[in-house]
Order: sequence, then C-alpha cells, then structure tokens
Amino acid sequence: MNDRISGYANAILDLAKAEGELGRVESEFLAIGQAFEKSDDLRAALTDPALPAEKKRAIIDDLIGGQATNLTVGLVDLIVGTGRAGDIPAIASAFVERAVESRSKALAEVRSAIQLDDPTVERLAAALSKATGRQVEVKVIVDESVIGGLVARVGDVVIDGSLANSLNELRHTVLSR
Amino acid sequence: MQLLTALAVLATEEGGETGGGLSLIVPPTSELIAGVIAFLIVFWFVGRRAMPMINRTLEARQQAITGQLTEAEEAKREAESLLADYRSQLADAKTEGNRIIEDARAAGEQLKADIVARAEEEAAATLAKARDEAQNEKSRALAEARREVGEISVGLAEKIVGGSLDDKIQKDLIERYLTELETL
Repeated sequence: MNDRISGYANAILDLAKAEGELGRVESEFLAIGQAFEKSDDLRAALTDPALPAEKKRAIIDDLIGGQATNLTVGLVDLIVGTGRAGDIPAIASAFVERAVESRSKALAEVRSAIQLDDPTVERLAAALSKATGRQVEVKVIVDESVIGGLVARVGDVVIDGSLANSLNELRHTVLSR
Repeated sequence: MQLLTALAVLATEEGGETGGGLSLIVPPTSELIAGVIAFLIVFWFVGRRAMPMINRTLEARQQAITGQLTEAEEAKREAESLLADYRSQLADAKTEGNRIIEDARAAGEQLKADIVARAEEEAAATLAKARDEAQNEKSRALAEARREVGEISVGLAEKIVGGSLDDKIQKDLIERYLTELETL
C-alpha cells in the first residue's frame, strides 16, 4: 500500500473517530468502494479530468447524499476534488482495515451473493477467528459475482467457497485438458 | 692357246692336202706368232693394269650399294620404330580416351545419383513439413474446438447453476461453507 493511500486512510480514520461516527463511516466507505469497483461509468465520470468539479459533486450527492453522513460526503468530495477518485476503492479498503485494526482486530472481508443475517455473521466471525488464529471483525459485501456460497479474505488469506470459484476451476479443468 | 695351235696344225694339214682353201683362213705362221705375242702383251696389260682398276670400281660400287642397303635397312627400322611408336601412342590415346569417357560416365552417374538423392531428400523434407503442418493444424483446430466446447459447457453450467439458485440453496451453500470452516 503506498504512502498516499495510507495517508488518506489514516486521515479518514482520525476524522471519523473525532466525529464519533466511525462505525457508520466505515460501512459507508465499504459501500462506496464497492460501488466504485462495480460501476465503470461511475469511475469514468469521477476520474474524467474534463468534467467540472461541480458536476462530480452533484454525482456524489445523487449517489450517497441522502443516506450518508456529511463527513463521508465531504471526504469523498475531497478525494474527488484532489483528483484521486481512481484511488477511492483502495483508500476505502485501507481505511476499513485501519479502523478494524484500531479495535485490535483483523478485518475479514466476506463476499456473499445474498445478505447475511446476524447469527450467520457471528458464526462466521467465530469460525474465521479460530481458523486464522486472530480476532476478526466481519464486514459483509454483497457481491452477485460470487453467484453462491462465500469468499472470506483475512489479510492475505483467502478462503474461497464460492460457486464462482468452483465454476472457474471447472472452466480451467475443461480448457486445460 | 691349244685351240689356236690345233687350228694351226689343222690348217697346215688341210693346206698341205688341198693346197689352197684352208690357207685362205689360217694366217701364215709368222703372222700367227706375231699375233700370239701381241695378244699376250694385250692380255698381260689388261690383267695387270685394267683389272685392278675395274676391280676397284666394282668394289667401290659394291660398297656404295651395301651402304645404300644399310641406309635403307636403317630407314626401314626407323620407320618401323616410328610406326611402333605411333601404334603405341594410338593405343595410349585410345586407352586415355576410354578412361576419360569412363570417368565422364562415372561422374555423370555420380551426378545423377546425387541429384536423385537430393531430390528425394527434398521431397521427403517437404512431405514431412507438410505432414507436420497438417498435424499442427489439426492439433490447433482440435484445441480450438475443445476450448469452444469447454467455454460453451461452462457457460451453460453457469446459466443453469445461476438460474437454479433459490434462497434455500443459497443458505445451504453458506451453511456448508460455515460447517467446513468450523471443522478446519
């Protein structure tokens, strides 16, 4: 992770803590990072140097203005304004990881095709903590490209039990034969 | 000499008998004696002077003829030797000619064999290359076909799997994942 991204991540963490809204800002950045990764149009619009800053701000307002905290909206405005919109997914991911680490836990990023209920998330947290030997905090990302099952990532460890992965393996087997 | 004497005697006898006929032929005795003496002088001169000259001339002539014969002999021998030389040279030339023809024929055969061998080699190489290319093409086509079939099969599998995933199956998949994770 380069210095700039970690600088932005640390700044967001400090500001969110100072505002006492760390939990919400975390979730919001997680969602924004996701939206950025998934939508090519959004990424293209916000990183387009020809598009004026007002237009970009309007897009952000449309996207998260009604639901997100003012802090998140302001921070995203700042990042887009400094021309670092392309780094938003990396910054979001780094920030969430820092936030989890600040609670002396490891981030477990779990991708699922459907929304998970609380008991499932708790079981996941317990099982991943046991499997990785670290206290983890689970953040669920709803990602339809998983198709079915789950993909968990803790640090560099990826535990992939998704149908997408099985299908990929099947494709690999079929094509390499 | 005896003959002359006998003639003289005969003449004397005949003359005595007939008294005329034979005495016409036979000279008188004095003339006869003078004739004999003259004859002897001539005989002696010839025998003594002329004969050696004649003999020398004859000898010289004989020698000249012998020399010419020898020369002729020499010339003949020389001619024969030359002829033998020419024959030998002709034979050599014939042998040489045959050898050259033979060599040329052998070289021609060799060249022919070489050309045929090279042509065969090239043909074999071309054939092998063509075969290789055909094989490669076949492998490529097969691989391509296999890839497409695989792609289609997996795509179908994805569609079928994606379409058949209801909430229950999704929950079952998550439950299975959790169970496996808990037993790690």
